Amino acid sequence: MQKGITIHLAGVNAAETAHVLLNRLGELGRSAEHIDETAQKSLGNKETADLACEHSSQEGRVVIAGYPDACPSGESLHIILDPNDTPDFAAEKILDELAAAGVINLETGTYSPEEEEKVRQRLADLGYIE
Amino acid sequence: MSARRPVGRVLVIGLDCATPQFIFGPQRFALPNFQRLMKAGCWGLLKSCDPPITVPAWACMMSGKDPGTLGIYGFRNRKDHSYDAMFTANATSVKEPQVWDILSRCGKKVAVIGVAHTYPVRPVNGWMVSGFLAPDTYADFTYPKELKQELREKVGEFVLDVRDFRTDDKDRLLRDVHEFMENRFRTAEYLLQNTPWDFFMVVEMGMDRLHHGFWKYADPAHPKFMPGNPYESAMREYYARVDDWIARLAAIVGDETAILIVSDHGAKPMLGGICINHWLIKEGYLALKEFPTTRRRIEDCAIDWSKTRVWSAGGYYGRIFVNVRGREPQGIVAPEDYECVRDELIRKLETMTGPDGCLLGNRVFKPQTLYRAAKGVPPDLLVYFGDLSWRAVGLVGVDSIYTFENDTGPDDANHDHNGIFIMDDRTGRGGIELRDLNLLDVAPTLLNLFGIDPLPDMQGKVIS
Repeated sequence: MQKGITIHLAGVNAAETAHVLLNRLGELGRSAEHIDETAQKSLGNKETADLACEHSSQEGRVVIAGYPDACPSGESLHIILDPNDTPDFAAEKILDELAAAGVINLETGTYSPEEEEKVRQRLADLGYIE
Repeated sequence: MSARRPVGRVLVIGLDCATPQFIFGPQRFALPNFQRLMKAGCWGLLKSCDPPITVPAWACMMSGKDPGTLGIYGFRNRKDHSYDAMFTANATSVKEPQVWDILSRCGKKVAVIGVAHTYPVRPVNGWMVSGFLAPDTYADFTYPKELKQELREKVGEFVLDVRDFRTDDKDRLLRDVHEFMENRFRTAEYLLQNTPWDFFMVVEMGMDRLHHGFWKYADPAHPKFMPGNPYESAMREYYARVDDWIARLAAIVGDETAILIVSDHGAKPMLGGICINHWLIKEGYLALKEFPTTRRRIEDCAIDWSKTRVWSAGGYYGRIFVNVRGREPQGIVAPEDYECVRDELIRKLETMTGPDGCLLGNRVFKPQTLYRAAKGVPPDLLVYFGDLSWRAVGLVGVDSIYTFENDTGPDDANHDHNGIFIMDDRTGRGGIELRDLNLLDVAPTLLNLFGIDPLPDMQGKVIS
């Protein structure tokens, strides 16, 4: 099972950043969900939402807790968004932290075998390698 | 450290392979806009990294860390100690933060175009157009992705590199190299005018292609130079056109922007190649199961690893690998003999003579003596044949250790250790020539221009 985690997201553009982050995690093949204030209310109260986050992350998901005063137990990241960052850039910074925590791997799949060969041949043609 | 008054913005114009002799030296071309920036600011030779190769050089420049610390020793690197697992160094391989990463995290808007190692593009607080390590323009070579289509509509198809570089059709190549340069600067011009930015960097690669393709036509010191040839002025005209673009970009950014012109390495005439694996065979270090009757890449030959102590890979410099027992899969050199083998090779390589019987002037280095750390899988030795006047040729099936033809096509220049540094930081320095500048100084200097302290583990100094 993959390693799960809860991300506490707060600050400017939190909802937009969570949206971008969900998409990026999906692109990376990671199961993720966002429990925002609306979802928290539908779950009942803050405590039940905390439990939902905890349960979901224990099942290997990345959970974005975007409701006020979220406090689930288990491994978590607390992110206060920088107001200078765009949601796209803020999401990438969070991905870097997730990679550092061993939750995701950002290093695979840079070239397909065909692309790798194309680049290798170009470098050989240019004289950098043989 | 950051006592200076931060400037508003910074423009970096990177010229891959721009070489000091054409810009600073007595043989310099008439380049009024380079000169204007030099006279207003400061300038000097910029010592490249070892090896002085595009990758890792730009990554070292933009991180302030040496190749060993980055674990990148060229475009192709050993993935592990097996014989054939290699990887192409690109953005994913660079683990250390680059200037644009640091500035992004400080809330600065950045725009970066064409830096060699930036594919696959990683998000920044702004815009990124990758360099020539993108496989093609079908790939997502821009950040954000939509920028690719915008550039296509506003500037035209982005040119990643010249096509069919190794050719005797010099008319076509010269046209393509110019178009490559024009396209790169038109892209920069468009983004300079249409995006908000604090830090802007564009790298022009055509100059490197020009040097490799046309050096012998322009440099009377090259043994193949022929006076009156049709390309005698090709380099002068190209540099003059780049000079025009510098004026054009400088006019856009205005007087409150610091401008740097930097290159990752210089260039010099290439006199020929040393067939290093052929030499290793002759010296008894390398054994093939069958000696090929035609020239062949060492990777395509059956190496008898049970009798091979050393093998090598070619390129602008030589990389030598020792077949160490317990490290390589079929290693035969005992670990306790490793240093003896390296020292013996250094002695032999440093006393290697050229076809005229004179010393070639080879320089040989152990990576551990060059770098603060030697991460990844470094070569066991790095060799500059004739201090880079000769390239390293890994082919076997040759009849001499010297070759004067390049199997991949014409190439008349090799990289040299010194590139260029010009900075007009708008403080009115008045044309100071600086000495002892190092490529690793550029990243701390750029951060300092923004009033940001360099990272503690950056290895360069602030140029001031």
